[in-house]
Amino acid sequence: MATAVEEAQLNQLEIQVDNGGGGAWEYLCLVRKLKARRSDKVLKHGLFILNNPRARSKLGEEEFTLYEQVAFAAMDCRRNDIAKDCIGALFKKFPGSIRVGRLEGMLYEAKGAWSEAEKVYTRLLADSPLDQVILKRKVAMAKAQGNSAAAAEYLNKYLETFMADHDAWRELAELYISIQMYKQAAFCYEELILCQPACPLYHLAYADVLYTMGGLENLQAAKKYYSSTINLTGGKNTRALYGICLCSVAINQLTKGRNKDEKDISDLQSLAAEGLLRDYKERAPKKLSLVTTTLRNIKMVS
Amino acid sequence: MAEDLVLDTAIRNWVLVPLSVVMVLIGVLRYFVSKLMRSPQTLDAKIVREGQLIIRARNLRAAGGFIPVKSFRARRFYYTNEENGLLHVPKGQAQNPQAQMFSDPNMAMDMMKKNLSMIVPQSLTFAWVNFFFSGFVAAKLPFPLTPTFRSMLQNGIDLSTVDVSYVSSRSWYFLNLFGLRGLFTLILGEENAMDDTQRMMQMGGFGADPSKNLSAEKDGLDIFQHEWTISKMEKRAEDVLRKLVK
Repeated sequence: MATAVEEAQLNQLEIQVDNGGGGAWEYLCLVRKLKARRSDKVLKHGLFILNNPRARSKLGEEEFTLYEQVAFAAMDCRRNDIAKDCIGALFKKFPGSIRVGRLEGMLYEAKGAWSEAEKVYTRLLADSPLDQVILKRKVAMAKAQGNSAAAAEYLNKYLETFMADHDAWRELAELYISIQMYKQAAFCYEELILCQPACPLYHLAYADVLYTMGGLENLQAAKKYYSSTINLTGGKNTRALYGICLCSVAINQLTKGRNKDEKDISDLQSLAAEGLLRDYKERAPKKLSLVTTTLRNIKMVS
Repeated sequence: MAEDLVLDTAIRNWVLVPLSVVMVLIGVLRYFVSKLMRSPQTLDAKIVREGQLIIRARNLRAAGGFIPVKSFRARRFYYTNEENGLLHVPKGQAQNPQAQMFSDPNMAMDMMKKNLSMIVPQSLTFAWVNFFFSGFVAAKLPFPLTPTFRSMLQNGIDLSTVDVSYVSSRSWYFLNLFGLRGLFTLILGEENAMDDTQRMMQMGGFGADPSKNLSAEKDGLDIFQHEWTISKMEKRAEDVLRKLVK
């Protein structure tokens, strides 16, 4: 994640390079350092340096880093021909390198030649079975082919070893949601909350999953997690406010008729509805009437 | 005080300076040789897994209050149950590192390489110094010292009357051996300079037992009291919203 200062610096440098002010190499280094994805610019400026023998020789050993960077960018822009040239140059310099092998596999992926890519990855994994990047590539490949279940399976296998990788947990949660396996997704979000208990987004997503699963217990838990999202964001999260309203409605419907005396007496939902209306009044007054009717329909406001 | 000894300039030219230069060159050479011999670190799946497991269990202990009681219990059972819990190390299976080292030929090989690159050149240079330059004074320190330094500075000269500020050649070799670290940092870069003393320390404190970490983490989880912090959130969210609406 780039901080605001770094981002500004990157943008400034980009404008300078775009207008022919020089500093292309510095720009590329910064992109690499910040892991920014500006493939079109990287491709343009990187290729310019690579095609210019004098500029290229000035880089020395760094030349090959640039080849790798440009290859990635080229694949991102569907310029597979350029990527192929870059990878060829890298192969000549580092035959048998795993890092270059990964690039080769990705090129096959970019072309859509799944079976060949699979073959390359399998070969590389035989040498180093714990290569995180390749294991993740396999997940990505299954996902790209639309086979979410297989992707989830690969990811599960990956997480068996690298179980503290919270990005992988997040990806798995989203995969499970996409194939409607909510219980498993809930587990993943629990894991994410354990990992970063102060991140409101995980609380929100967990609440969403609980609400989707339904059932009184889950709904009550969902409401609690929506509340904690509100807490963590200071009431600024619209989705959490809606979540409170919907959960309350659903809970009321489920408990209607029985144990009247235990009725929820808190005015959280009305406060949430009020907060919603206020938010819309400030930021999207045109849609205010729509929201008011909706809330009135579910009897959140009178 | 005894009469000042006059040191031949030839000693400076043929002993003092060459000795230092040779020591530096050997240090650099050894660095490159060990770099060549270093085999790429292969990760062991089990070790990686254990490390990650400890992180995850620690997270559970630190933030257990943020997930519902049911989920917490399920996880705790998964980690600590006596049959096949991940953190549970069966008695007797806990390998001691020594045995592990011998069972893994790679590890022993690594150790040997490390030793080779350290001991062989050292003993060779020591023999060389001993053979050619033993038993005479090579330098004089520009400041006086107490007699306790005699064993450090006049190794190889058995004369108690010589002033302590004179340094014997063998001692000069030792001073160089242990004192050239700063120079190596300059030549080889911050990370690469490995001092001999450091290397010896590394050999000593070899191998911490990973199963100990696991069982410590297990005990921590066993006594952890789960308290669902989220259950209080509704009340607090109400306060937040009330403040916001008003």
